[in-house]
Amino acid sequence: MGNSVVTINNLVKRFPVGGDFFTALKNVNLSLEKGEFTGLVGPSGSGKTTLLNVIGGLDSPSEGLVTVLKKSLGETSHNERAELRRKNMGFIFQSYNLLPVYTVFENVELPLILNKVDPQERDKKVTQAIEWVGLSDKINSRPAMLSGGECQRTAIARAIVHQPALILADEPTANLDAENSHHIMKIMVQLNQELSTSFIFATHDEKIMAYLRRIIHLDDGKIVNDEQIDQPKSGN
Amino acid sequence: MLFKIAIKNLLGARLRTWLNVFVTALSFFMIILFSAMYDGMREHAKQVTIDTEIAGGAYWHPQYDPMDPMTFEDAHAVPPSTVKALVNQGKAFPVLVSQASIYPNGRIMPVIMKGITPEQNIVNMPTQMLAGHEEVTIPVLIGRSMAKDARLEVGDAFTIRWLDADRTYDADEGTVVHIMSTENFKLDMGHIWIPLEKAQTMLAMEGEATYVTYAEGLSIVENKGNWIPRDVKYLIRDMEALIEADEPNAAIMYVILLCFAGMGIFNAQVLSIFRRGKEIGTLMALGMTRARVVGLFTLEGGLNALLAAILTIILFGPVLWYFGVNGIWLGVDYSDGAMGLIVEKYLIPVYSVGLVVTTTIVVSIIVLIVSYMPSRRIARMKPTDALRGKVTV
Repeated sequence: MGNSVVTINNLVKRFPVGGDFFTALKNVNLSLEKGEFTGLVGPSGSGKTTLLNVIGGLDSPSEGLVTVLKKSLGETSHNERAELRRKNMGFIFQSYNLLPVYTVFENVELPLILNKVDPQERDKKVTQAIEWVGLSDKINSRPAMLSGGECQRTAIARAIVHQPALILADEPTANLDAENSHHIMKIMVQLNQELSTSFIFATHDEKIMAYLRRIIHLDDGKIVNDEQIDQPKSGN
Repeated sequence: MLFKIAIKNLLGARLRTWLNVFVTALSFFMIILFSAMYDGMREHAKQVTIDTEIAGGAYWHPQYDPMDPMTFEDAHAVPPSTVKALVNQGKAFPVLVSQASIYPNGRIMPVIMKGITPEQNIVNMPTQMLAGHEEVTIPVLIGRSMAKDARLEVGDAFTIRWLDADRTYDADEGTVVHIMSTENFKLDMGHIWIPLEKAQTMLAMEGEATYVTYAEGLSIVENKGNWIPRDVKYLIRDMEALIEADEPNAAIMYVILLCFAGMGIFNAQVLSIFRRGKEIGTLMALGMTRARVVGLFTLEGGLNALLAAILTIILFGPVLWYFGVNGIWLGVDYSDGAMGLIVEKYLIPVYSVGLVVTTTIVVSIIVLIVSYMPSRRIARMKPTDALRGKVTV
């Protein structure tokens, strides 16, 4: 429990559909430790993204207890969850979700502005994060001028710039080709190893699975398998 | 923090920002111009009346009531000496009013015949055109509309019939010596103007007058006998009443213009904000609170209004200034008084401080409201829905 990043007990998530409810997550129990590189794997509709959203405080559980970074999400207000995300979490989305009117630098800078980081320190951290993902030559480009891989690298830089304890990535390679996918995964593995940042991926991409050290299989809203991998196929 | 992000968003959005700002600036411009035209029309009517008819005010014969022509018969006397002294100093001029009939082209027309000093330069009327003309019996000055109605041209002669002080009807031949073009239809329609001395002789009212109009800037004289001083405020009271009665129309027009402007701004702002649903979801995912999201978009709206005010000054300021100096050609001649108010051919808008300030405040409030409401609605959504772009107007 001391190093626990996420603890989930008896999580149920239902969505209203017409006059009825669709149960997306059924009695999920899960514990993730600091520095884990975990994948939520399963077919479409298995509940991966829903689980990721609940962990990120973007969605609330219908039943059960979810504790993230020692905060019980059920007992926190909207503002407290926003603060938790702002200070301790990073998000990587399948469609990047970069702000189109901002440059690479400005997109990466945004979490630091929200955290009221001093401008000088901000510049340093943003430059460092951009260097890390290898986009120094695109620092003043807007998302429309970037390739898919470059957009996702910008999104990763944005997710890591404030060095959060937990990064949630929803299908981060779904829109990328094989070469870009491997490149991005290598960056994230490096971050995980150097900063001990915990990663949770929602994916059904085989390329990602090769890098994971823990794979949680979901099917029809339930965890059907929780697999620890000592030697990932990628060799990380 | 919000200010910095709002500025970044506005400057970063480039075309979208400028379109929103342009729509708002156009609204500022339209409301200010149309309301100023309306104010200008009313102000002009007042100014023309003062310039051509009232000057600084008048001393009326106690019997005189311009709304009752039956009083003209008895409303004449030699003005009090103090008033006459003003006339002698060229600071006032007398007018003798009577009823008459004219017979142009075989028709009979009732008119108000006014004798006026041709040399006066206190009101803006071409009375000097009545001077000279020894060759004609009665030189007559009429307005363009009157000339049109009576089908008279310069040089045309017609019979004038009047009732003199001895209650004797008399008639003689008047000749049109000048047709004046005046914006004040009250000097034109149903009026004929003749030299004062000629009128006094015709009416057997030597040295007499019905009222004496004095120049602007003079105070009321002492010892004015029973003559009644009428100041500008009194003399334009009917027009003021007309304008006051017109206030609701002006207010309705202002509100209609605001509604049009509001709809334009609402469309531009709402579309802009709802298009940014995914962006709002992203900001919430990055840890921005709902209140700050709403604050950010409302602040952007406020900055939009500020930019619009600046753009209005830069882009439309010269246009407003040009119209303010040269006027706007209406394309229609209302000099026949068909509008019931003096309306110039070139309408000069009047930009009052109140109008500009009120419009700026009201339009800014509209912008803030139409920025606040949709962003509040989006911010209340689940971040997951906003992220998916599940936003409906």
